[in-house]
Amino acid sequence: MHTRTLRRTLFLLLWGGASVTSYAQSDPAPLVSGTVTDAASHTPLPGVTVMAKGSSIGTTTDANGQFSLPAAPGSALVFSFVGYAHKELQATGGALTVNLAADLQELSEVVVTGYSEQNRKTLTSAISSVKGEDLKNIPAASPDQLLQGKAPGVQVSANSGVPGGGVFIRIRGSNSVNASNDPLYVVDGVFINNTNLIATGLGNQVSSNPLADLNPSDIESMEILKDANATAIYGSRGANGVVLITTKRGKAGDKTRITFNTYHALSKAPKQYKLASGPELATLENERFINDGGNPALVPYRSVASGGRGLPEEQQTYDRLSDVFRTAQTHSYELSAAGGSAKTQFYIGAGYFTQESVARPSAFDRFSLRVNLDNSVTDKLRIGTSTALSRTHRNVSSNDNNPVGVINSALFTRANLPVYNPDGSYAKYGSFDNHLALINNLNNDAVGSRVISNVYGTYQFGKNLTFRSSWSIDFNDMYENNFNNTLILAGQPRGTASSFLSRDITLLNEQTLNYSVNFGENHSVQALVGNTLQRNTFQRTSLAGQQFPGNDLTTIASAATQTGSSSRSQAGLVSFFGKATYSFKERYTADVSVRADASSRFGSENRWGYFPAVGLGWRLGEESFIQDLGVFQELKLRASLGKTGNQAGISDFAALGLVQGGANYLDLPGTSPLQLANPNLSWESTRQWNVGLDAAVLQNRLVLELNYYDKYTSGLLLNVPVPRKTGFSSLVENYGAVSNKGFEAQATANWLPKGALQWSTTVNIARNVNKIEKLAAPITTGSRDIFRLEEGASLYSFWLYHQTRVNPESGNAEYEDVNGDGQLTVADRKLVGNAWPDYFGGVTNSVTYKGLDFGFTLNFEQGAKIMNMNRFFLVHGGTQSNIGYLSEQLERWQRPGDVTDIPRLTTNASSNNYGGVVQNLSDRYLEDGSFVRLRTLTLGYTVPAATSAKAHLNSLRVYVQAANLFTITPYSGLDPEVNSQSGVSNTKNFDWATVPQPRTLQVGVTVGL
Amino acid sequence: MKQSLFRLLLVAQLAAATLGLGACSDLLEPTPVQQLPDDKAITDAGSARAAAIGTYDRVQAYYQLNWPVLGFLPGENVRFNGTLNQFLQIDQNQLSADNVLITEAWTQMYQAVNGANNLIAALPGINDPLLPAAEKNQLLGEAHFLRALVYFDLGRGWGGVPLVLKPTRSKENGQGLKRSTRAQTYDQVLADLTQAETLLPDATTRNRAVKAAARALRARLHLYRQQYVEAETFATQVIGSTNYRLVTPYRAFSTAPFLSQESVFELTFSNSDANSMWNNWFPSALGGQFNFQPVPAAISQLNDPAVGGSRSALLASTVIAGATVTYGNLYSRSAQRDDPSYVLRLAEQYLIRAEARARQAKLPEAIADLNTVRTRAGVGPTTATTAEQLLLAIENERKVEFAFEADRWFDLVRTGRAGTVLGVTDQRRWVFPIPFNDLVADPDLEQNPGY
Repeated sequence: MHTRTLRRTLFLLLWGGASVTSYAQSDPAPLVSGTVTDAASHTPLPGVTVMAKGSSIGTTTDANGQFSLPAAPGSALVFSFVGYAHKELQATGGALTVNLAADLQELSEVVVTGYSEQNRKTLTSAISSVKGEDLKNIPAASPDQLLQGKAPGVQVSANSGVPGGGVFIRIRGSNSVNASNDPLYVVDGVFINNTNLIATGLGNQVSSNPLADLNPSDIESMEILKDANATAIYGSRGANGVVLITTKRGKAGDKTRITFNTYHALSKAPKQYKLASGPELATLENERFINDGGNPALVPYRSVASGGRGLPEEQQTYDRLSDVFRTAQTHSYELSAAGGSAKTQFYIGAGYFTQESVARPSAFDRFSLRVNLDNSVTDKLRIGTSTALSRTHRNVSSNDNNPVGVINSALFTRANLPVYNPDGSYAKYGSFDNHLALINNLNNDAVGSRVISNVYGTYQFGKNLTFRSSWSIDFNDMYENNFNNTLILAGQPRGTASSFLSRDITLLNEQTLNYSVNFGENHSVQALVGNTLQRNTFQRTSLAGQQFPGNDLTTIASAATQTGSSSRSQAGLVSFFGKATYSFKERYTADVSVRADASSRFGSENRWGYFPAVGLGWRLGEESFIQDLGVFQELKLRASLGKTGNQAGISDFAALGLVQGGANYLDLPGTSPLQLANPNLSWESTRQWNVGLDAAVLQNRLVLELNYYDKYTSGLLLNVPVPRKTGFSSLVENYGAVSNKGFEAQATANWLPKGALQWSTTVNIARNVNKIEKLAAPITTGSRDIFRLEEGASLYSFWLYHQTRVNPESGNAEYEDVNGDGQLTVADRKLVGNAWPDYFGGVTNSVTYKGLDFGFTLNFEQGAKIMNMNRFFLVHGGTQSNIGYLSEQLERWQRPGDVTDIPRLTTNASSNNYGGVVQNLSDRYLEDGSFVRLRTLTLGYTVPAATSAKAHLNSLRVYVQAANLFTITPYSGLDPEVNSQSGVSNTKNFDWATVPQPRTLQVGVTVGL
Repeated sequence: MKQSLFRLLLVAQLAAATLGLGACSDLLEPTPVQQLPDDKAITDAGSARAAAIGTYDRVQAYYQLNWPVLGFLPGENVRFNGTLNQFLQIDQNQLSADNVLITEAWTQMYQAVNGANNLIAALPGINDPLLPAAEKNQLLGEAHFLRALVYFDLGRGWGGVPLVLKPTRSKENGQGLKRSTRAQTYDQVLADLTQAETLLPDATTRNRAVKAAARALRARLHLYRQQYVEAETFATQVIGSTNYRLVTPYRAFSTAPFLSQESVFELTFSNSDANSMWNNWFPSALGGQFNFQPVPAAISQLNDPAVGGSRSALLASTVIAGATVTYGNLYSRSAQRDDPSYVLRLAEQYLIRAEARARQAKLPEAIADLNTVRTRAGVGPTTATTAEQLLLAIENERKVEFAFEADRWFDLVRTGRAGTVLGVTDQRRWVFPIPFNDLVADPDLEQNPGY
């Protein structure tokens, strides 16, 4: 019976609380009424399900926690509510007062799984759940970033500190080389597009994160499906893990609750580059000149009278970086209303979020609206929608790998050179623009419009069978307008402009038939079959204009030369799937699932793929021999095995041999070969097994979850290098294999679970070992081919010369002669480390005392390497005549006997100190990127209900929060969380004039009206 | 009412689901709208013309930046003033096999070869009344010419290379095909040029191949092969044509609308097919990146009335922060972005013939050819009298005449003087390295020694 009640609860949660009060009563029993309250706070609990045991009669409590239902005196009533322990009471003649105790045992929660829900007790998969409550108020634009440090095995790292920018997220490592490694995101059943649509080139950085279109505070929960048993139901899209995002819905019988939430924050870059001053730079340049064999009497920085540029001590130092970095503001306002009658429930949320980047002039803002509605048309038919609209605006500017980027222009330009010319115009040097010219004149707008909407209908056939059909659209539109006036380099010589309209649309139709039944007390079966049809269309129109009459006419209509182009591509996916769960006494559970997918992207020979999985769970803790020990409140073993696929990240027509247009000459249309055909192209498939253990001991004071997994991805969608003499450089083939093995552990300690002072801590840690098992040939990637993929090594491995020392006698750098031929050639480049952490994880701590709450979140990574390109460029020994120096260059070798790792200054190529064959590609600039970061620190106060009621408020909470208050790291750059060429596949931890994560101080208030 | 509503809904659902399934094949076989299947690429007059244009486009791709850079930057006229190490290596004559510019050039060149091979294979089979025999011959001749140009450049850059002559349809094509010798590569160039000369029209077009372009390239090929008689013969055929003359002043050949009478073959760019080469030469104050900076010695030579003469027009100056900065101005169309890439100019034919004649001890004729070029530049006649002096004078003339074009490095390697003049004494470094990435992908490929 227990199970059935639970199932009803699940059903309630799923459909926002279906009314179950309308069962026809043939034999009226006396009404039993009462109030349900929270056992700790004694506040009324609305929405609690109350069932007469052994019947289908039930109701839910109203806004005041009150209920009434017909039940014979002496019959049993069952009270259930998510997050609380079940309670069973005998109906007495009078009004009941029922105290429900919060259920601390995480294992009893309901988990959203693919196409259904499951009690965590019977779960056989590895799924992490993160509640919206735990994510609130973190000053980040997108929900994926909020997962940082929250879920074991989920590595989340912002590519840069640009608001609304890309995020690196990996669930249990990277499976793929050329296909995407991003998880699939499903928002209320809609498979959403996660492709950056910004077309403006921004220095190899992925410039937008499509998830930033979602307002994090609309989120009820996020579930991260990690193992194959959980993800196989998503078939060819499941291999990288699935993030299910469930948004808030109204509850039946709930009084409408209106909540206003706002916060305001100030952010700063926590650290700054240390540049050599003007005099230091001049000293270095003079030394370089003499080392290169120049006449000491003719050093460049000698007195002006003798024809030089002035003595070193006469050089000015211009601080450009302070112009770029600012105290940036963030503001957030949200208003939501949730509630519902027995028939109709709703959630309405509206938000406005605006965030400046700490590096001028980038900024992001978002307007968002959400409407979630559910209506019971009849007892059996239910319809509803989840609809979100958003409009984002980004003021984008390039940094990272771009000489005319803002940070580049301030960082790389020599410090002794004036910012302005004598005539007052912006001074520019070498390849670099003037940073103030950029800040004052950059005009790059990207406006995104997003609709993610789903309408559904469900129909209940009898007691056990539910049919559901849903129709969804994800409409993502990005409209960019850029104008470069003549004051910046990009606008030379007479102004340039570009405009892009990009549209990415997914249409999805889905049917499921869900069967759920209990046989007697002990057996329960849940089964589901379904199908989906998906179509994705991408199109882009680009326009460019050159030569403008002036700097005030900024649209392409004013340009003398106007050019345009458009492109379009389409893909389809047809799927059938099914799964079944059988549970005996909630003690033994077996899951089986399968999905069949047909994708248009693949060769005609290999169109269908099948993705099966099985899972087994055994709640050892229910066995008497364990219960007799009296140690475990829960002890469960889980195991699963399955196969998933990946088809993301390759072009829609990758299987076809194609010739493309656009190869024009003399303004005549031309065609040229584009790619070779591969009719056998298919998905890459990932086989994964997982074993897990869940345990709760010490009266649930300590809850543990452990997982070990082993993934093997074969038939990689790989750009296999082909001999270039063929006229092609690669061909997409199913070739190669990658493995990921690792463990994840999460422990929650409920130090003080009850009483006025409550305290709990959750720690998670994970390790993933990534290995390329099979590869056709080594593949180099990234700027200067710094990354190299080799069989037997990890992805994201750095391929550099290994500097053994700086010879104390000569001052020249010495490098490892890997092949021992006595010569330094490219064969001496080797893999010197990778960007994977050995361990990563997070700590969340929460303390509440009466109305006060205090919490912090730490996250950490240990052992990852970072290539610090800022040092690569700014510790150049004199080879870069237009680039200044970091202070670190002052530690160079100067005279025999000096022991340092910075070689003698010289531009002489044969020394290989900074140039020559080595091209400065030395592991001298590769650093340890381990860090521990205090992600958030929060102190809040909830005003007692009595006090807030006097102000006619339901509730009131005020808080202060600090984000990134400190970071402990040996890394010398601004931020160890960095990925400056996120737009280039198979690269990570590459730091090149990247905006760091800001340190933020924030105050906020949440008001319940 | 509600029951009927539900029925309606159910019917709609089922209908939609059925429709959806019926639309499966639609869903699973979308047709690309901006690409063509490769087996339908060259089937009629229109597609053959487009494929020929596409092959020019690939040649244009490597001649836009990479090939001129590989010609002038290893020489001593220009220094690299930017931040990218691949250019610095070229400037310092310290190439390594992972140089990304080398890789890019090599890749683009074989793309052009594949484009030409596709045309050569498909054209004979096209029977389209809209494609008259004359035009068919012209397209075929162009394909042979372009293939010859690419293989000639590959040969002078890397030595012998794999000679792929058939279109690629699968990655197995070309398996087992090893590098040929440089002589074999040049033989293939000759074979293609012979074909091209027969097939091409005798027209005055300057940005598509004509008979004279094939002859001019042949003159250069023979010079590189030290076949001086033939070099003289073919140079004479071009010089003798009334379609070509040296234009005055020197700057006229590189002045819009380009396609001057001096030009035998140049690759045209336009604003919608832009050449951003100027950006590498202009100082940042003028909107460029100033990556290529003429060195002081070259500036004084070009500005010397007795050496550069009117070729000083290759330079321009601007005042930045009170100091005068001199920059290269051959590629100067920053607004229109239509600077051409210069491939074959009549001035080179004169200098080819001068050298071929000097080698054959026809000194007065050689001196006359050299002086023709000098006179056009407004400098006095050469003072060279012996063959040896004359050869050096021709070498020096080329240095200023083609200061920023794809010539100096190849010229010094050809004459064996790269060691003496540039200090690159290791002769193994007189050819470029085979890209490291391609060596890994192609077991048939062997690296040049020394890399």
